[in-house]
Amino acid sequence: MTPLDWLAEPFALGFQQRALIGGVIAAVMSSTVGVWLVLRGMSFFGDAFVHAVLPGIAAAMLFDFSPYLGAAIAAVVMVGGIEFIHRQTALKEDTAIGLLFVGMMALGVAIISKSPSFTGSLTSILFGDTFGVTWAAIQGEAVMAAIVVVGSLVLYRPLLGLSFSATKASTLGLKPRLTHALLLAMIALAVIGSFQAVGTLLVFGLLVGPPATAALLSRTVPRMIATSILLALAAVVVGLTLSYRLGTAGAATIALVAVGTFFVVMHATWLRRILARRRAARAETRAQEVTA
Amino acid sequence: MTASAIDTPLAEASGLVLAYGNHVAMTPSDFTIPAHGVTAIIGPNGSGKSTLLNSLAGVLQPRSGSLKVLGKPASEAYRQVAYVMQSMALPEGTPITVKEVVAMGRYPTRGWFRPLTKSDRRRIAWAMDLLDVADLARRHLGELSGGQRQRVYVAQGLAQDHVAVLLDEPLTGLDLVSAKTIDDIIHSERERGHSVVLTTHDLDEARAADHVILMNGHVLASGPPEQVLSRRNLELAYGLGSLHDSDLVFIDDPEHGDGPAVDALNPPNPSRHNHRHHH
Repeated sequence: MTPLDWLAEPFALGFQQRALIGGVIAAVMSSTVGVWLVLRGMSFFGDAFVHAVLPGIAAAMLFDFSPYLGAAIAAVVMVGGIEFIHRQTALKEDTAIGLLFVGMMALGVAIISKSPSFTGSLTSILFGDTFGVTWAAIQGEAVMAAIVVVGSLVLYRPLLGLSFSATKASTLGLKPRLTHALLLAMIALAVIGSFQAVGTLLVFGLLVGPPATAALLSRTVPRMIATSILLALAAVVVGLTLSYRLGTAGAATIALVAVGTFFVVMHATWLRRILARRRAARAETRAQEVTA
Repeated sequence: MTASAIDTPLAEASGLVLAYGNHVAMTPSDFTIPAHGVTAIIGPNGSGKSTLLNSLAGVLQPRSGSLKVLGKPASEAYRQVAYVMQSMALPEGTPITVKEVVAMGRYPTRGWFRPLTKSDRRRIAWAMDLLDVADLARRHLGELSGGQRQRVYVAQGLAQDHVAVLLDEPLTGLDLVSAKTIDDIIHSERERGHSVVLTTHDLDEARAADHVILMNGHVLASGPPEQVLSRRNLELAYGLGSLHDSDLVFIDDPEHGDGPAVDALNPPNPSRHNHRHHH
């Protein structure tokens, strides 16, 4: 077997190719909007969000309506609930997020437990059904990905302003509240669009992993977005290859590669800093010896 | 600019109340900030200086009462008002270069989508030159000292089309070079006929202004510095105890204008120097 065959084999069959395409689309949209999620410091919100869409999808399965619609309703309930608690009480936002996080998750599990195939449904929603992705699902995913990617790029100025400072963004006329709402909508679309390919929980690996790694490597936001997309694409290809070779779950392996890359890069940059410092110290010593 | 636009005061407030959630930061206050010249907002910590500046910038809506900026509601005047953040404010984790921060000053003119033109780029370069940050253009905002960052933020404000600049403690805790550069900009903005509003802890700075607003949870006095910064007003603003025991207060005595009274009100500040706006 040539190395090329070795690499191509995991993607030889139709369902494997659909898994790859579904993963690639999920990777591109999640890693793009994920950059803004990371820059806004909204990772906890993102984590809660991916749990909170569960009851919507579960209800859609039980009562036979579109899971996208179910997830969208759940997303609106989640954001509305956080805002309501925030306005009605003096509690900090993370408490509101935490409450909605567990409440929505529990509601989702309760709804699914009414379904005859409890475990199977729950697992495929949460952890994805990478190798069961249909062409119809890929089409829907592609439309949502186009909206999210175009939105993340076209809204560059208001999103940069919001990441910089909401107060400053407001004085520059960048409408930070509207921008924040649009960002939430794009995160919701990325989660809803990716849930069949990588699952609602593991999409979080692509939302946070590649952007966080890219932050270690980039000096500007446009570069961070480009790096994040490349890292996410690599995570999908490497993840699916490893999953085939090791017999592990597809979506979990993709998420593991995305997060694992962060730690590898973090250590590499740390090592590079130490080596650079040593080199500088050695050069200084040599210079002192020469002068002496 | 039409004559009426020139005569419009920078700000007019009547019965203005400012609040964050349940916390009222400024109880009903009336004041006018004249067009042109330097206005200093002074008062003890937590007296509502920055809150008032935020409301002038249109970031904070009045809880009640009315506030007009350049004859319009404050939130509509943002295109003509440049708001400069405090040097302490650093968007951590956002990878952004000095040039891009300054370029943001063109966003109010170009909006969300319209690309920057050659004249925008010239304006950005001009602002960076003026604040002596052109050689830092490609540097990361997080790599700068507080003074350099404050100069970048002022450059951002000057890159904006504006008739007024609002500065939140622009000279606090800066190195001498940065403080001098920004002080020069305050003068030149004044000479260009723009309004400058700054918050400060420093009585010297307030006395050097054309107009002073003295605050302590509300506007205690507003007017020319020699009127507003009277001993009685300062005692009201800072509490009787802080000035009562001191024989060193010569604030309302022009003979001793630079007396050590300031030290009774301000913690030692290594960068403080005398930057009078009137020469």
